[in-house]
Amino acid sequence: MTNVSTNAGTAEVTAIDTQARFPLLLLLGSGIVWLVVSGILAVITSIQLHSPQFLADCEWFTVGRSLALRETAFVYGWAANAGLGIALWILGRLGGYPLRGLNWVVVGTLFWNLGVTAGMVGIAAGDMTSFSLLQLPRYVQPLLVFAYAAIAISGVLAWSGRRADSTFASHWYAIAGLVLFPWMLCAAQAVLLWWPVRGTVQNIAASWYAQGAWSLWLAPLALASAYYIVPKIAGRVLPTYESAPLGFWNLIFVGAWTGGRHLIGGPAPAWVATMAVVTSALLLFHYLVVALNFRLAFQTQGTAIKFIRVGLIAYLLGGAFDLITSFRGVAVSTQFTFVTTAIEQLGWYGALSMMFFGAIYYMVPRLTGAAWASSAMSAGHRVLVVVGVVASVATYAAAGSTQGSNLLDASVSMATLFGNVRTSLLLNCGAQMILLGANLLLLVNFVRTACACCVSPAPATNLFRQPSSKMEAHAS
Amino acid sequence: MKNGPLFLLGLFVALVISFAGIVLGSHAQLGRLTPYFDDTEGQSFPQRTAGIAARGQMVYADLGCAACHTQQVRRPDYGSDKARGWGERQSVARDFIHQARPQIGSSRLGPDLANLAVRKPTAPTAAGLYHVLYLGADTHPSYRFLFDERKIVGEPSPLALQLKGSLAAAAGTEIVPTERAQVLVAYLLSLSNAYDYPESRPVAPAKKQGEQKK
Repeated sequence: MTNVSTNAGTAEVTAIDTQARFPLLLLLGSGIVWLVVSGILAVITSIQLHSPQFLADCEWFTVGRSLALRETAFVYGWAANAGLGIALWILGRLGGYPLRGLNWVVVGTLFWNLGVTAGMVGIAAGDMTSFSLLQLPRYVQPLLVFAYAAIAISGVLAWSGRRADSTFASHWYAIAGLVLFPWMLCAAQAVLLWWPVRGTVQNIAASWYAQGAWSLWLAPLALASAYYIVPKIAGRVLPTYESAPLGFWNLIFVGAWTGGRHLIGGPAPAWVATMAVVTSALLLFHYLVVALNFRLAFQTQGTAIKFIRVGLIAYLLGGAFDLITSFRGVAVSTQFTFVTTAIEQLGWYGALSMMFFGAIYYMVPRLTGAAWASSAMSAGHRVLVVVGVVASVATYAAAGSTQGSNLLDASVSMATLFGNVRTSLLLNCGAQMILLGANLLLLVNFVRTACACCVSPAPATNLFRQPSSKMEAHAS
Repeated sequence: MKNGPLFLLGLFVALVISFAGIVLGSHAQLGRLTPYFDDTEGQSFPQRTAGIAARGQMVYADLGCAACHTQQVRRPDYGSDKARGWGERQSVARDFIHQARPQIGSSRLGPDLANLAVRKPTAPTAAGLYHVLYLGADTHPSYRFLFDERKIVGEPSPLALQLKGSLAAAAGTEIVPTERAQVLVAYLLSLSNAYDYPESRPVAPAKKQGEQKK
């Protein structure tokens, strides 16, 4: 990456940043708003899980629909918007030229959020598709493909028109995230919604898409941010970086195959589940590479790094648990329980969101040229979100293990099982409230920072530490 | 990875391999599954879902019942599904070939429903299901929006819920399930995977040499 200005204080804020300020802040802001919306829905659903009569008579928020709403708001609202904003910024920075196609980005963002909002209303009104992570109604999904493509074009142009010939790990992961998602969504729509395949092949295809959404879309976007931020802040080259391309291709080739672990024992061919076990083990190499590369994060200081560290630990733990729960002997007790939800939260919240938070805390001052409005709120957000994530994962895991052992014992009725998990679900409700509070802090902080920069656009001097030796992009 | 088109090709190939392997591979194996014709019974299984039950599945899907209920029974030696009376055998792909959108679910906060209509020891009745849907329970949400409270005009409706005490409808009114509730209950009462297909029977263990096969 290149810095255009030489002034120490403004060296971090370049023409790339000032030009892209409004579109990228729009993406990040939309993402954070959706994060708060999904937080509210998470509180609602967590209450409904232990007290089923809560909002039960309101058709729009019956528990099945509010779970779909929560998941959609989190993935297609928060993760998509934030991931796109971060990916575009990183690609622009690595490309060395101001981003092109920013008008398309703004239009794409508006239509994406319009589509997701329409989709949420559709789900609440009863048009959900019943496929996990693809609950958005049929009529909204094509719009999302085009909106996403409109936003992604800017990133692809930044990569193809880059100044330096070589590419860096963040390039590969960000482009993978930008380009694989529309392809996957089209394929999933084709076989599930427009020309549905027969019977349980739909469920197999849905699990392929759900796993792909994580392994091929959102995990790459999170890793792109980590690969960019950690060396930038540390000022050093990542250790064992030579293995990064192998780790990347391992994830891309093998990642989507691991979804079959949810279909163990189900009406799907046995090889689907077995391939999932095998590929979960193959994926360990990718996690090893990530662990080796990011040893550096544990020797560096900084607000953003603290988030990335938690994110990395959660990502590695998630991978390990994915493998462990894919074994049939373990799956017999963990399948269909909250253990799956716990591991999912570990990934979506612990890994993905934390890495996005780190990137946002790093990115926004450089986009706006102003410091975060309140460092107290930043610290508060960080502490609360870590506490909330740990509490949420722990309570789901506790509920899940009770549920699992109770399900295996045929003498325990479902009513008794429900009573046994209720306490953990109550505590989980508290965890979701902590997370909501944390994300409200982030929203307020972000809005104040963004508005302040609009009022006084000149970047402050002495805002950033002197950047130490530049990170070298490895030729690959 | 400086070569742009080659990189994009690599990404595309990776995606195509996983899609072809998982989705197209399963489709090749299961996509042409036909109903199994039983000579002794003289009919094919699974039997076609009645139209009313197919509409009920749409209501089941749009209410998100699959969030807490599965419809896939696991093998008798894999979990306690058979011991709980949820099914005599595991669910196989052929059970779902007539379903527009199989609701196999992924979470069991509530019981598995694959064989609800033939649940042992007692199968639920329509009246019982209407009660659960209207009143809810400690462990189950209520779905009152699926019911109408209306004035009795002429004869009381045969579908009206018979509730006692404080829950009963006010004098002169009755609580009647709407069409959505009726099709949902019809669907729930059609859920049965009773037939034993060749692929669902347990594989007989190989006998030792010298022993006769029965």
